[in-house]
Amino acid sequence: MDYDPMVMDDAESLGPVVKISQADNVRVKFELSNADLSFANSLRRVMLAEIPTIAIDLVEIEENSSVLADEFIAHRLGLIPLNAEGAESLLYSRDCDCDNYCEHCSVKLVLHAKCTGGENMSISARDLVPAGDRMHQTLGMPVIRDEDGLGPLILKLRPGQEIKLECIAKKGIAKEHAKWAPSAAIGFEYDPHNKLHHIDYWYEQDPKTEWPPSEYVDWEEPPAEGEPFDYDAVPNRFYYNVETSGPLGPDGIVTEGIKVIQQKLAGLIHELTEGEGGDNYDGPRSPEYGGGGDGFGYSTSYGGNGGNQSAWGGAGGTTPFGQTPYGGGGNTWS
Amino acid sequence: MNAPDRFELFLLQDGEKKIVETVVNGMSNCSDFTIKKEDHTIGNLLSERLKQAPNVMMAGYKVAHPNVPELFIRVQTDGTVTPREALVNALKQLVAAYGQLGREFQKELALRQYADQGENGDGSGAQGGTY
Ligand SMILES: [Zn+2]
Repeated sequence: MDYDPMVMDDAESLGPVVKISQADNVRVKFELSNADLSFANSLRRVMLAEIPTIAIDLVEIEENSSVLADEFIAHRLGLIPLNAEGAESLLYSRDCDCDNYCEHCSVKLVLHAKCTGGENMSISARDLVPAGDRMHQTLGMPVIRDEDGLGPLILKLRPGQEIKLECIAKKGIAKEHAKWAPSAAIGFEYDPHNKLHHIDYWYEQDPKTEWPPSEYVDWEEPPAEGEPFDYDAVPNRFYYNVETSGPLGPDGIVTEGIKVIQQKLAGLIHELTEGEGGDNYDGPRSPEYGGGGDGFGYSTSYGGNGGNQSAWGGAGGTTPFGQTPYGGGGNTWS
Repeated sequence: MNAPDRFELFLLQDGEKKIVETVVNGMSNCSDFTIKKEDHTIGNLLSERLKQAPNVMMAGYKVAHPNVPELFIRVQTDGTVTPREALVNALKQLVAAYGQLGREFQKELALRQYADQGENGDGSGAQGGTY
């Protein structure tokens, strides 16, 4: 790699820039600038589909005299958001040495309720209680954020009806099933004035009056009157609105998303630089390449302290990634 | 039923290799890379990055069929580097760029939380959520 040492100093000023406009425990809104569309969009896609979380995957029903069918309840249970903070300490069940599931690759929750009073009874996520050996105190606990502290409603029981079941929550990603998605929604937009004409607005008389303006119109300069279309313009400011459904904090979704995409890329580098004969590659494995992913390598290099799996960093005397200038070599990577 | 298991979208099957390079005959310094179990996330990211490299003449990708979890990237260079080197360079730049994005985000978030604490003293939500 031909990095020009002269541009290393201001390397950070060439790379992506983040500006957060809102952050609370449900959403984080931020602007990503100085990046191109593919870079921004890949992060969006990974945050939607490939961040590992925990969701109920197996349900053993012992007693169900409610009006809802077993599989209907099982489906509802699968969609209950569970706390996934610390999910990296849990193995994927398919990678675990156990026969079916165990405390290293699953979290067990039980639900047992009987309506003994004269009134209908509501069963909500709060009634799911952890059971069995647990590696982690909060991992896999239902996310409760409503004011009554109940969590999502699962089912209702009439007097005399009973529900008794056991749930096995496992780690997974949303590519397999949407119940593993950490986000409720991810807003993503760019070019609020539609200068690039990536959107072709439908309209009756005038799109300007008929369409509501983007909330980011004040962030960017509107086109001047009679400004000619710029054929070379590309988007480089992106507005995200990451909303969590509870498993991770909204900021956690962003940082985990970055980690996942780095692991993907690092895995490919590994394959391309050392996996020639396939000698150090052994069969199928889960998407978490490095296993002990060490974040995005704050001051250290990515993978520099990752031990065996990340040995590619040393090949050819390349710069450690933490210090590698984004856009080195004097080129204009946007 | 005969539906394929959904984990086949992202888990390599027995004997599958993550990435295979095939040299394209009849084009100089040109290779196809077949990457298993990846999609537009990696394809668009890599080909767009490759196109910005000065020694890459041409780059493009396709996901031939939405049900087939397989990605093709074609890279042609000017001969000063091999397509494989160009790809590795692009990958390394992207790892670094995402690393910087992560650091930027954490830095901004810390500043923001610091500012919020000054405002209302209680940064936690009503239920003291996981934030
Ligand atoms: Zn296990």
